[in-house]
Amino acid sequence: MSFLLEGLRQALHLLTHDNPYIWHLVWVTMKVAFVSTVAALVVGLPIGLTLGLGRFRGRGILMVLANAGLGLPPVVVGLMLSVLMFPQAPLGRYHLLFTLHGVYIAQSVLALPVIVALTASAVSDLPPGLLAQARAYGASRLQLAGLALREARIGIMAATIAAIGSALSEVGAVVLVGGNILGVDQTLASAALEAVDGGHFAIGIAIGILLLGLVLIITALLTVLQQLGAARRMGASS
Amino acid sequence: MTAILEVERASVQRARRDVVHDVSLSVAAGEVLALLGPNGAGKSTLLEAIGGVIPARGEIRRHGRVATVLQSPGLARRSVVANVDLAQAWWGVPRGERRPRSLAALTELRVDHLSRRYAGALSGGERRRVHLARGLAVRPDLLLLDEPFAGLDAESHAALVEDSTTAFRAASSATVVVVHDRADAWALADRVVVLLDGRIAAQGSPEQLLADPPTAEVARFLGYDGSLRSGNTVTLTRARHVVLDDGGDQEATVLRVVRREDGARVQLGLAAGSVWCEVTRDGVEPVRLAVGDGVRARILGGVTFREDA
Repeated sequence: MSFLLEGLRQALHLLTHDNPYIWHLVWVTMKVAFVSTVAALVVGLPIGLTLGLGRFRGRGILMVLANAGLGLPPVVVGLMLSVLMFPQAPLGRYHLLFTLHGVYIAQSVLALPVIVALTASAVSDLPPGLLAQARAYGASRLQLAGLALREARIGIMAATIAAIGSALSEVGAVVLVGGNILGVDQTLASAALEAVDGGHFAIGIAIGILLLGLVLIITALLTVLQQLGAARRMGASS
Repeated sequence: MTAILEVERASVQRARRDVVHDVSLSVAAGEVLALLGPNGAGKSTLLEAIGGVIPARGEIRRHGRVATVLQSPGLARRSVVANVDLAQAWWGVPRGERRPRSLAALTELRVDHLSRRYAGALSGGERRRVHLARGLAVRPDLLLLDEPFAGLDAESHAALVEDSTTAFRAASSATVVVVHDRADAWALADRVVVLLDGRIAAQGSPEQLLADPPTAEVARFLGYDGSLRSGNTVTLTRARHVVLDDGGDQEATVLRVVRREDGARVQLGLAAGSVWCEVTRDGVEPVRLAVGDGVRARILGGVTFREDA
């Protein structure tokens, strides 16, 4: 219990005293979460739409793979990517290992199945007939995609919340691909791990509390946006 | 009049089975044509082929743009007026023209007061009206409607048919509407095509078809539910061809009495077969006929076919 209280006290101290180390950790963590989620959305939304709306051979297998991807172990992903980023490996010439760009890629790979699987699930649940009716009025592919995304926005927002939440708190891939280098790619989660490893439990708890707060604030903001959309949709019978 | 649609010897398959056989028809500008038939007759399949949704053998010529209003009223999660605007965006109507057209179409179908309401908050009948308003708002040369009144309660159904009749007449589009309820076809259409087993069994104005159905099969489908045999001919009657009359020349026995709001439909057994007639309630008194009663009736008309024809 005293650990926790000491952690709280240190967290307060870290936050109330201008601490460049902490603010840098917060900044890197947010950058990693934001960049990887946006990258996963850019790549994952079209794939999720195709899987959710398309009717083609092999779609079932791809859906199984996307769903299986939700359980991708970050450590395995980190290990595989770091092997691919070794100097003599296929991605070696891009010098991504132990860089922030490498961490972005690793986190994007982890977020991608979340976006793909949950988007596919959300759009395949759209009211039957809506997209067929849009096609019957001559909607273009782009208009159909826009309609599906807008109609499934509650589910897609849930996918975004899940992706950003995991990117904020993930450790395995950051450590293996980024090397957990202070001032380069160390995030709040990997810094907490390092603090605990080094026996600095109070600092670990303090960083953990900060991380928890960050996760809560960001996911709460996204949830409010999501629920505003849902309330707007459900309400207004007057 | 200019033909907007010409179908020549069209046949359509579903699951490698011919569902529509050798159909030929045409629709003129401004005309409302009803495709009428029982379930499984191939009406919706023919409509989809006309709309170009599924392929057909033979020839289908469309002179202008075709909009299909599908059976399921799938509305987007936005306001009613935004849904109608959206259909026009898909159709390619310039942005500035959409809203006035949407409001006009919603007014035509008497749902303009719901224009700001979210689609999810509409009743089934209101959804159907908005669904139809989208079709009117895009102003196609040919409007195809697949069972636009399906799944409504009797009151909403009747009200929507009445309002649609006015709306379709006001629109300049040619319209093809699939219905399986005869009353809807009579109310809506200038011309009715009866499809039985994927073939055109009859076509003509509602009055023509009712007065002179070409075959016994068509007559039965159109509500000729009485049947009197004589030699190798059969005379089919509708309820309006039969009256109960103490001085009538036919002795009959009451076989069934089906009570209705304003009287009853009564099935009579005669020596030559059975017929149905309608008995109107006398003021507030209920219809006093019962099964087994002996009555006298007069047959005022009907259509006669040779049995071997």
